Amino acid sequence: MTATDTRLEVDRIRFFEALADEMNADPTRFEVLGDVDMSIALVMRRPTGDAFRAQLVFDGIRCDGVDEIGEGDERQAHCWLEGDLADWQAMFANIVENGRAVGRQTINSLTLVGDRITVHGADPLGVDRFFRYNQTVQALLDGAAAVAAAPG
Amino acid sequence: MTNVATPDAYANLPETNPLGFPLDWSWLRGSKSEWGVQPKPSSRGLTMMDIAVGAYGEVPDEPPRRTMAPRGCDIEDPTPDMGYILNKKSQVWSDNVRELYEEAVARQWSATRDIPWGELQELPDDVEHAICQLCTFLSEVEMIAADLPAKWMWRMNHDFLEAKMFLCTQIMDEARHSEVFRKRALANGGGLLKSKAAGTELLRSILQAKTYTQASSLMHLLGEGFVLDIFRMGELISPTDVEKRIFRMAMQDEARHVAYGTLHLRYAVEHDPDVAEEIHEALDHGEMVLMEVGTQPDLTTALATLLAGGVENIETEGFPLQSQLSVKLLTSYLARCERAGLNRVQRTLLPLDLLGIDPDTFTPAA
Repeated sequence: MTATDTRLEVDRIRFFEALADEMNADPTRFEVLGDVDMSIALVMRRPTGDAFRAQLVFDGIRCDGVDEIGEGDERQAHCWLEGDLADWQAMFANIVENGRAVGRQTINSLTLVGDRITVHGADPLGVDRFFRYNQTVQALLDGAAAVAAAPG
Repeated sequence: MTNVATPDAYANLPETNPLGFPLDWSWLRGSKSEWGVQPKPSSRGLTMMDIAVGAYGEVPDEPPRRTMAPRGCDIEDPTPDMGYILNKKSQVWSDNVRELYEEAVARQWSATRDIPWGELQELPDDVEHAICQLCTFLSEVEMIAADLPAKWMWRMNHDFLEAKMFLCTQIMDEARHSEVFRKRALANGGGLLKSKAAGTELLRSILQAKTYTQASSLMHLLGEGFVLDIFRMGELISPTDVEKRIFRMAMQDEARHVAYGTLHLRYAVEHDPDVAEEIHEALDHGEMVLMEVGTQPDLTTALATLLAGGVENIETEGFPLQSQLSVKLLTSYLARCERAGLNRVQRTLLPLDLLGIDPDTFTPAA
């Protein structure tokens, strides 16, 4: 699988439901990272001009809310991550290839430089939540490796 | 659930012990506190938010006593005065403090066990020196965020228990940060390098602040905000996964401290608007000292070396990336100030223009 492989349909709500299922099925892994209280939205801008938007709601060591949301609804989340679909695909391809995000494809790296995926929040404290729970978010995203490997 | 004691309940209990000393059954016969409160655990267990119910959840703006008695209990009169000087809720409180305490407890980690020390690799000499210099700086500055709460906590009215509990977690966090950076400096065959006067000057400014709220503005908002951004940079400056892991874990802790400070200052300003000028004055001074620290040649060269992956690319990669990240650092700080109810954009003496930040067009939302 190469960095541009797009076999994973990351701009689909079922993909994020699968990531949440991976997280919820592995409490041991997430318990050591600690509880989370955060809603986070992801915005993937498609080349066609529209965008896919998903909101994830974390509670404790579970991701219990996965919903596709409409334009502008990301502002209701504590924070949101926004980038072109191709950059999201590259990030997930890196995860699938390595079993986890490595190098500058971690979500913290991508948002730190901010030239591809950016972090936003209507409130700076919402953005700070992204930093407070960063490793849990990364672990959830890293679940893409298991999702890709799953049959079907 | 036991019923509330009635006046004649337990009427026949002995009045003295076998040695003839008087016994006190007042705790059993009914005390002047709330009985029958039974908070229910949430999905995460029994949290501090869950038990903040009834009178036990009410934090007074100005507690009538200065005692260490647990808030909500029946306090014997007279009771010794503990001499607290922070007796207004606005002086220490933040509305997120219970949640932050629970989060801190749930997200503790071990610098001994949770860092893959065995994966350290031999690094180029300049890179090893640079990471050791950065770790020397961080090991020094992190401990101030333990010393400072310790200085003030015993002066805080005990009715503000949750704030004190949160600060206890901060002290533990900072001890661990000081530990982990010390360990990293030593663990790969390098060592502790230079400690510069400017860094110590900043620490002294924070420790000597006249009020806790001034100290909090210097430490939580300014100092820890600055360090939080260095930790975020960890992704870019870490030569190996070992350092990345260190910075990622420390980042999460630091963001909690910043979140407490930001909302503490907001609470303070909302409940006592006069305190805003006091905070501004502290930040006027603190920003200048921090700028000296942030621009001290040893720290900037070490950071730029790490950003560039070595000294050979420092001018083409290290310094440009450092400038780019400095803009993020300052805009994050200014946004947090706004959230705290403090408009620093027009007042700050930080060289915003040098970094291309226009005060007239700056918007605080990230």
